Amino acid sequence: MGDLSGYGGDALKSLKEAGAAIGDVLEAKTPWGEVTGTLVPRYLYGDGDHLVLKLRSGYNVGLRVSGLKGVRVVAKGEKPSFSPPAPPKPAKGLPRVLIIGTGGTIASRIDYRTGAVGPAITAAELYSLVPELSGIAQVHPEIMFDIFSENITPKHWSRLARRVAKAVKEGFDGVVVAHGTDTLGYTAAALSFALAGVPVPVVLVGAQRSSDRPSSDSSLNLIAAVSVAGTARFSGVYVAMHLGESDDKIAFHRGTRVRKNHTSRRDAFVSVDVPLAAVWGRSGLEYVSEGLPARGGAFRPRPRFDGRAALIKFYPSMPAGAIRAARRAGAKALVIEGTGLGHVSKELTKELAAFVKAGGLACMTSQCIEGRVNLNVYDTGRDLIHAGVLPLDDMLSETALAKAMWVIGTGASGARARELMSANVAGETTPRTFPS
Amino acid sequence: MGGEDGLLVGLEIHQQLACSTKLFCACPPAKSEEFPYHFERRLRPAQSETGRFDPAAVFEFAKGRSNMYFWNPESSCLVEADEEPPHPISKEALEASMLAAATIDSNLVDEVHVMRKIVIDGSNTGGFQRTAVVGLGGSFSIDGSRVGVQSVTLEEDAARILGEDAASRRFALDRMGVALVEVALEPVKGDPEFVGRVALHLGRALRSTGRVARGLGTIRQDLNVSLSGGAVVEVKGVQKLNLLPKVVEYEGKRQRALVQVAARLKESGVRRVRCRTGDVTAVFARTSSAALRRPLGVGGRVGCIAAEGLGGLLGWEPEPGMRLGKEIAEVARANSLGGVIHSDEFARQGVAESEASELRKEMRCGEGDGLVLVAGPQEVVERVIPLLMSRLEGAVKGVPAETRAATDAGETRYMRPRAGSQRMYPETDIPTIKVAEGLWKKVLDQMPEDWSTLVGRLKGKYSLSADLALKVYDSGDPEEFERLAHSLRLEPSFIASALVDLPVRLAREEVPERGYSPQVIVEALKAVDAGRVAKEAVPAILGVVGRRGVSVSEAIGELGLVALDETQVAATVDRIVGAEANLIQEKGEGAFSQLMGEAMRELRGKADGATVARVLRQRLDAALGKTSRAGGDQPS
Ligand SMILES: [Zn+2]
Repeated sequence: MGDLSGYGGDALKSLKEAGAAIGDVLEAKTPWGEVTGTLVPRYLYGDGDHLVLKLRSGYNVGLRVSGLKGVRVVAKGEKPSFSPPAPPKPAKGLPRVLIIGTGGTIASRIDYRTGAVGPAITAAELYSLVPELSGIAQVHPEIMFDIFSENITPKHWSRLARRVAKAVKEGFDGVVVAHGTDTLGYTAAALSFALAGVPVPVVLVGAQRSSDRPSSDSSLNLIAAVSVAGTARFSGVYVAMHLGESDDKIAFHRGTRVRKNHTSRRDAFVSVDVPLAAVWGRSGLEYVSEGLPARGGAFRPRPRFDGRAALIKFYPSMPAGAIRAARRAGAKALVIEGTGLGHVSKELTKELAAFVKAGGLACMTSQCIEGRVNLNVYDTGRDLIHAGVLPLDDMLSETALAKAMWVIGTGASGARARELMSANVAGETTPRTFPS
Repeated sequence: MGGEDGLLVGLEIHQQLACSTKLFCACPPAKSEEFPYHFERRLRPAQSETGRFDPAAVFEFAKGRSNMYFWNPESSCLVEADEEPPHPISKEALEASMLAAATIDSNLVDEVHVMRKIVIDGSNTGGFQRTAVVGLGGSFSIDGSRVGVQSVTLEEDAARILGEDAASRRFALDRMGVALVEVALEPVKGDPEFVGRVALHLGRALRSTGRVARGLGTIRQDLNVSLSGGAVVEVKGVQKLNLLPKVVEYEGKRQRALVQVAARLKESGVRRVRCRTGDVTAVFARTSSAALRRPLGVGGRVGCIAAEGLGGLLGWEPEPGMRLGKEIAEVARANSLGGVIHSDEFARQGVAESEASELRKEMRCGEGDGLVLVAGPQEVVERVIPLLMSRLEGAVKGVPAETRAATDAGETRYMRPRAGSQRMYPETDIPTIKVAEGLWKKVLDQMPEDWSTLVGRLKGKYSLSADLALKVYDSGDPEEFERLAHSLRLEPSFIASALVDLPVRLAREEVPERGYSPQVIVEALKAVDAGRVAKEAVPAILGVVGRRGVSVSEAIGELGLVALDETQVAATVDRIVGAEANLIQEKGEGAFSQLMGEAMRELRGKADGATVARVLRQRLDAALGKTSRAGGDQPS
């Protein structure tokens, strides 16, 4: 019995009776005539009453099984032989770049027979899909995980950080991490702390528009990421994504200062309160910010994270129970995203005081996203300081959460934890902000 | 001709639907004139499960062109820019497409699946067009011959091209995403006149739904043309119905010519056209050929292909105007080169004898071989030569499968290789749509009157001629005609003719279009109805509105057209009758037409012809003493 993935109910029954499998050519007898087409998989959540045929014209149509007078297999499906044109080979002497896959698809291939989209896994596949890479670097793709980015945890951050540290030892000129965009900012921040002082560029890259579409931003983002990872004179952790909606310039953001600010646009990622780290155009880097760390230098990774921290967004009428629930769930550190300069209600302030008293690390960021917190301006703020809540200056909330997990992951607690949390480890805070 | 030699034509009609929004977003389907924003995109071919890339996609990508998209918030949003996922499909459009399917007896599928059809010429920002089969099969008959329907699909329209050059293509996003229904017909015999009638019928059937957009550019025809057993050539973008027969005829001639070239090659024993290539720039260092000097003057190169066995065949015209050389030139032009120079036209293109013989020596070929020269920037020449080679090698097969564009003159031009069939995959951003029985019932309830029944009714009810009734239907707005026929006290045939014949006449007289917009015509008709002007004045009024850009009332004033009442008409008639007493004495009744002519010369536009005739008849009769009339009107 062949594969009938996705089918259930009456549809599955009639397909089994006909001895059909995905990829077979079927003839379905409808009340108005025969429809011939290739059986394609049914998607998750499709009902059990329809079968889907791909017509010779390429279109899919769904036919109600209960309305059919019969289904028969006209021809068994043939596995397509995979014979891509020979990919271009990279020239000798090009920089070596490790490309780590974490899930999602930075480059993909479409199975037009079934509609499935598959990732490019080997270097040859990458060169064949994005031939420009062969003129930029010798790439070494490696798939570490295959998960949606919303399922990434601090454990994955640790593994990534260790792999990058090993790559540095192996002599790679740079590392590219392909990552789903939803939590790309969190991972970038986490790696910035774990890999503080890394002597090569580590570039996280994603695609806002799926890589199967000819218009995807993935190829250009990848080209820029590999190019910078291989050849830039600076080091550190960055995010590379489109600067605008055009396929011309790619923005490089500091890993601790970047945020996804749009659900779908190509230029969703922005650097908050700091200038871009660099801008790449088709002929190379067009702009590089001052003060980026140079390549090289001694480096000791600190790749451990402890996931027992929580990010809580304050809202009017938030019950104190929200803080207690986090404590009960085992939180050792809390990042509170307060209003304005960094405020929460009286009731919550009391609850935070209790949390700190019990040894917890409580920190404050602002839901304004832009600007810095200041707990000295209003009574509420002064009360929070009195309660032991640590203001995090102009640190992004997401960055603060990743940093809190990293701080407690180092084993620090109490005053040592507060000190580390306030220290500028990877450019996560800046003392001065300028009018834009 | 046509039909007997196995020419087959498959018609695809793309008709825009009249909906309040686009198919996958809330933007109105409005046309924009200005585009304050733009962005650039490069589209990349996708690799299929076999590891191959679609030839049409690679062809476009290899040109290295970028696409510039221009947009205006009044007509597009992030969805058209491919910066936001599509919204759920427009129910309004889905229903309209089902209605269209019902008018040609197509069978609805049970579940509609939206697909992405890879289109990489830049006309879609995403690199694909969203399209879904709504109906399968169906038919209609034309003079007793059955025409089969393959499928009815609902799809989004592409971006509108604004212009292109070697570096980029420019598109407007206003049209992109507008709902279209596409009807693909089974191939019919390639009789140009018959194909025209099929398209006309189908257009009428779609319009009968009352749910399709009207006006130029809202309907496009594509054709799949083949000689029996030969490759299918796709001809895109026939915008005017009356060009369709011409395109079929042209394409038939072209394909037959290519088959004859192949036959000639076979006769002379050429099984395969072997090609050699070389850079021959040096040969033309001091050429006097203008076509070569121009690209060489800006640092270009001249590439040469020597094609075995094609000597004399490049310039041969088996059918008038159809040459293999022209085909090759079109491929070069589609790649932004000026064309080619081939050995059968060396003399005409200013290639000297000495250059030709040096070229033959350089390329090591004899008189039996054909030579093709391409000149232009080096990278373009290098990219185009393989394309030309494969076209030359294809000469033995006759007609290559390719996509061509229809021109305004009813000819066809090479665009690109034909897209492979494997270029569709599911649009996973749009859930599949179950066609519930309720929806289908709702559609059937809205089933319109069949168009031929409607035309019959117009003919009978309003005493229109068959021709006029059809024209009213084809004008796209028979409802407007019916409304006017009921509300105005004018002859329906006069109203109909003003609506459908007058615009054609005024267009011929080169009156600007604003002079005969539906609103202006209706306003003029109302002025006639109100007795302000005579119906004879309508063309003159519209002429002034069109040429001077004034309103109907202003035009009436400028023309000095004030409708005269009967007493005023009588005064003029009396004066004429009085002045022509001798004529009346001499000719009696026979003087009427001459008198009528004189009266109308003075009264045209100011009085209705029928009124003038009636008054004149009275006065003439009186003058001839037929009836005794009181008063002193008779000449003494
Ligand atoms: Zn829109």
